[in-house]
Amino acid sequence: MDASPVVELRGVSRVYGRRATTVRALDNVDLAFPAASWTAVMGPSGSGKSTLLHCAAGLERVSAGSVAVAGADITGASDAELTRLRRTVVGFVFQSFNLIGSLSAEQNVAMPLRLAGRRPARREVREVLASVGLADRARHRPRELSGGQQQRVAIARAMVTRPAVLFADEPTGALDTASARMVLGLLREMVDAAGQSIVMVTHDPAAAASADRVVFLRDGRVVDRVEQPTARAVADRLARLEE
Amino acid sequence: MLRMSWTTFRDHWPIFVGAVVSVCLGVALVQSSLLLLVSAATADAPGSAAAAEGYEVAITLLAMILGVSSFVAVFIVSSTFAFTVAQRRRDLALLRLTGAGRGQVRMLLLGEALLLGLLGSALGILFGLPVMRLETMMLDAFGFVPSGFAGEWRSWIVWVSTGTGVLVALCGVLAASRRASRIRPLEALRETGEGARVMTASRWVVGLLFAGGSVAMMAVVQAVGGEAALPISIFISFTLVIALAALAPLVVPLVSWPFGLLFRGRLGRLAHANLRAGVRRSAATAAPVMVLVGLVAGLSGTLATLTEGTRQESLRTIAADLVVTADRPVGAVLAGIDGVGTVSEEVPVPFQLGWDADDDVYDTTEGLAVDPAAYAATHRVAVTAGSLADLRDGTVALDPGYASEMGWQVGGALHVRLDGTPRDLRIVALLPDTLAGPYFLLPADTAPAGGARRYVVQVDGDVSTVAGRIGEQGLGVVTVDDWVRQTADDEQRTDIDIMAALLGMSTLYTVIAMVNAVVIAASDRYGEFATARVSGLTRGQVVVTALAESLAVVTVGVLLGLLAAAGTVIGIALAVRDMIGITVVAVQWPLLVALALGAAAVVGLTSVLTTAVATRTPPIRLVAARD
Repeated sequence: MDASPVVELRGVSRVYGRRATTVRALDNVDLAFPAASWTAVMGPSGSGKSTLLHCAAGLERVSAGSVAVAGADITGASDAELTRLRRTVVGFVFQSFNLIGSLSAEQNVAMPLRLAGRRPARREVREVLASVGLADRARHRPRELSGGQQQRVAIARAMVTRPAVLFADEPTGALDTASARMVLGLLREMVDAAGQSIVMVTHDPAAAASADRVVFLRDGRVVDRVEQPTARAVADRLARLEE
Repeated sequence: MLRMSWTTFRDHWPIFVGAVVSVCLGVALVQSSLLLLVSAATADAPGSAAAAEGYEVAITLLAMILGVSSFVAVFIVSSTFAFTVAQRRRDLALLRLTGAGRGQVRMLLLGEALLLGLLGSALGILFGLPVMRLETMMLDAFGFVPSGFAGEWRSWIVWVSTGTGVLVALCGVLAASRRASRIRPLEALRETGEGARVMTASRWVVGLLFAGGSVAMMAVVQAVGGEAALPISIFISFTLVIALAALAPLVVPLVSWPFGLLFRGRLGRLAHANLRAGVRRSAATAAPVMVLVGLVAGLSGTLATLTEGTRQESLRTIAADLVVTADRPVGAVLAGIDGVGTVSEEVPVPFQLGWDADDDVYDTTEGLAVDPAAYAATHRVAVTAGSLADLRDGTVALDPGYASEMGWQVGGALHVRLDGTPRDLRIVALLPDTLAGPYFLLPADTAPAGGARRYVVQVDGDVSTVAGRIGEQGLGVVTVDDWVRQTADDEQRTDIDIMAALLGMSTLYTVIAMVNAVVIAASDRYGEFATARVSGLTRGQVVVTALAESLAVVTVGVLLGLLAAAGTVIGIALAVRDMIGITVVAVQWPLLVALALGAAAVVGLTSVLTTAVATRTPPIRLVAARD
C-alpha cells in the first residue's frame, strides 16, 4: 500500500477581496489526506471547509502555499492540465444537480470517458452502474430517479474513471435518512474493498461517522482531529467548536 | 460531443424554434434574391435605358435584401444562444467538472449551431421557391423588371443556401460559445456571480464603437451631401440601432426606472421590480422593438425629410405660375395664347456620363435641355461660377456636388455619350447644390425633336383664366404647387418602394425576434411564477403582472427606437440645410403609432400565452424539493 498521502496541502491560504474587505477563507493550512482512507472535513458555516475542498481539487487557485494531488503539484497548473486531472485522477460528487438532465443514467456515467476521447464499452458502464445497484435503471433520465438514486448514479460516474481520489461535497445533504445510509454504505464499501481514497465535506455528524477520520476547521484553520469517529463524539466536538 | 449537441437541441427545442425560423427565412430570402440577381444580371440586353435602369435598381434592391436578411438572422441566432448559455450555466459547468476541456464545451455549442443551420437551411431551400415567386411579383409590381421575368433555378444554389444557413448559425454562436468555454467548473458547485453580469465587455465595445461610428457618419452626411445622403442615412439608422441594441442591458433599466411612477398597487410594484431585475430578459425583448421602431422611424423620417426638402427647394427656385406637360413640342401654341408671358421649354435628355474616358465606364443619367435665357427668367438660379448665358452647342452647366470627387470646374470637359455618340462638353457654369435637380443643364439643341417635355410658364394676368385657355388647347396644365408636389412624390417613388420592401422584411424579422425573446424568457420563469403563486397570487394575477411588464418593455423599446431615429433624422436634416439652406424635419406619426400598437399587440399576446402555459402545472410541483 502506498504510504504517501493522495492529497497534500502545505501552507495553503486562500484570500478573497481587497485591503479593507479581505476575507481569509483558509489561513496557512497544512493537511495531508492519506491514501486508501476516508477523511471527513467538518466545521461551522464559514469555516472554510468547502473552500478547502475546492482548493484541494484544483477548482480554485490558492493565494499561497502548494497543493499536490496523487503526487503531482497542481498549484500553478494550467486549465488544460486541470482538465486532464478531472478526467483521470479526480472524481466529484456533490449535494445536488450532479447529473445532466438530458442524458440517461448510462450516458451520464459514460461521460467522463467520452470526454477523454475513449469509446466506453457498454459492458464497462453497466458494470459500474451495477456496482451501485442501478443496473436496471440504466436507460432512465435523472428526473425519473429519486434523489438517492441520482446520487448513486453520480457516484458511478465519478468512479468510472477509477480516480485516485474522490471529492464529495455534502453528498447526503439532500437525501432522506434511508437513502443517505445507502450512499454512505456504498462509499464505505469502496474504501474497504477497492482501497478508494475519499475526501468528504459534510455538516452531518452521522455522515462523518462513516469516515476513518474527521478533521475540524474553524476560521480557515485546522483546529481538531478525530480518528475512528462515532456520531456522538463528532457532534460533541462540533458543538464545542461552535462555542 | 455531437451526440450531446443533438440531445440538447432535441430537448430544448422551444428555445431554438425562433432561431430555426429566422435561419430558414434568411436562407429563403438569400436564395431567392441571389437567383433573381443572377437572372437579372445575365438577362438578355434590355430594350431601353429605362429597362436597363430598372434592372440596376432591382439588382441593388436584391443585394440589400440579401445583406439585411443575413445580418438580422445572425442577430436573432446570437441572442438565442446567448440566452441558452446563460440558462445552462450549471449544466455546462458540470460538463467542465467531469472533464470537458474549454474546446469541447465550445464544440458542443458549435455542434448545436451546426444542427440549427442544417435544419434551417433545409427548410429555407424549400421555402425559397415560393419566396422567389413573391419577390418576382414585388419587383414586377414596382416596375423594376419586365413582366415576363422569372428567376432561373441553378443547381449550385443548394450548396450556397446550405452554406449560408450554416454560416449564419455559426456566426451567431461565436460569442456565446466563447462565453460558454469560459465557464468555470466551480460554478457547478456554487454561484460565482460571474454569470450574472449581463453587460459584458464585448457589448461595451460594440455599443460604443457603433455609437461613435454613427456620430462620425452624421458628420460625413453633412460634408458629402448630394446623392449619397440617402444611402448613408440608411446606414446611420442601422449603426445607431445596433449601438443601442448592444447597450440595451445598460439603457433599458435606466429608461424603465421612471415607470415606477406609473405602476401603482401590489401588482404594479411587482411588475416594475421584475422589469428592473430581469435585465437580460427585458433587454432581449426591448431590443427587437427598438430595432424595428428605430429602422422604420429613421428610414421613413429620412425619406419624408428629403421629400419635403425637395419640395420646398423646388418651390423656392421656380419663379413661375404654371407648368404644362406635353409629349411633343408645343412652344409655338403656347406663345400664341393670350396672357402667357415667358415660357421655358425643358426637355429631359438621358445620356451616359463617362467617369473615365480611357476605361470606357459610363453611368446612365439624365440632364435637362433648356434655352438659357428663358430658363434664367423662370427659375431663381444663382450660379456659383461661370454664366448660364454661355450655354450653347457643345457646352453644359452642372452641379459639381453630383460627384464632388471629380472636381469639375468651369472650362473643364465632361465626357459623355449622347445617343451613343461620344462627345466632350465644355463646362460653362456651376450650379448650386440641389436636392431636386436638375444636376445637368444641356443646350437646347441636344433635345430630341419629339418626345415628352414640360413648359414652365409665367403668366401676365389671372392665373386660372390663362390656365383655362391653355387647357382648351388640349394641353395638360397644372399650377406650380401641384406640379412640384407630384414630381417630388414621383422622384421618391423608387426610393419609397425600396424602403417598403426592406422595411417589410425587417418588420417580419423583428416580429420573429420579439416573439422569440418572450417565449424563451418565459421558459426560464417557470420557477419564478410558481413561487409567486405559492406566495398568494392567483394564476390570473401572475398573467396580468407579466403582461404589464412586457408592455412596459415594449414602451421602453419604442422610446429608445425613437431616440435612434431622431439621431438619424436630425443628421439628414442638418445635411439638407447644409446643401440647400432649408431647414426641414418631417416625421410620419401615423406610421409610428401603428407600429407601436402592433408591437404591443404582438408582445402582449405572446406574453399572455406563454405565461398561461408556464402556469399550467400546479405550482407546488415546481417549487417543492424532489423526494
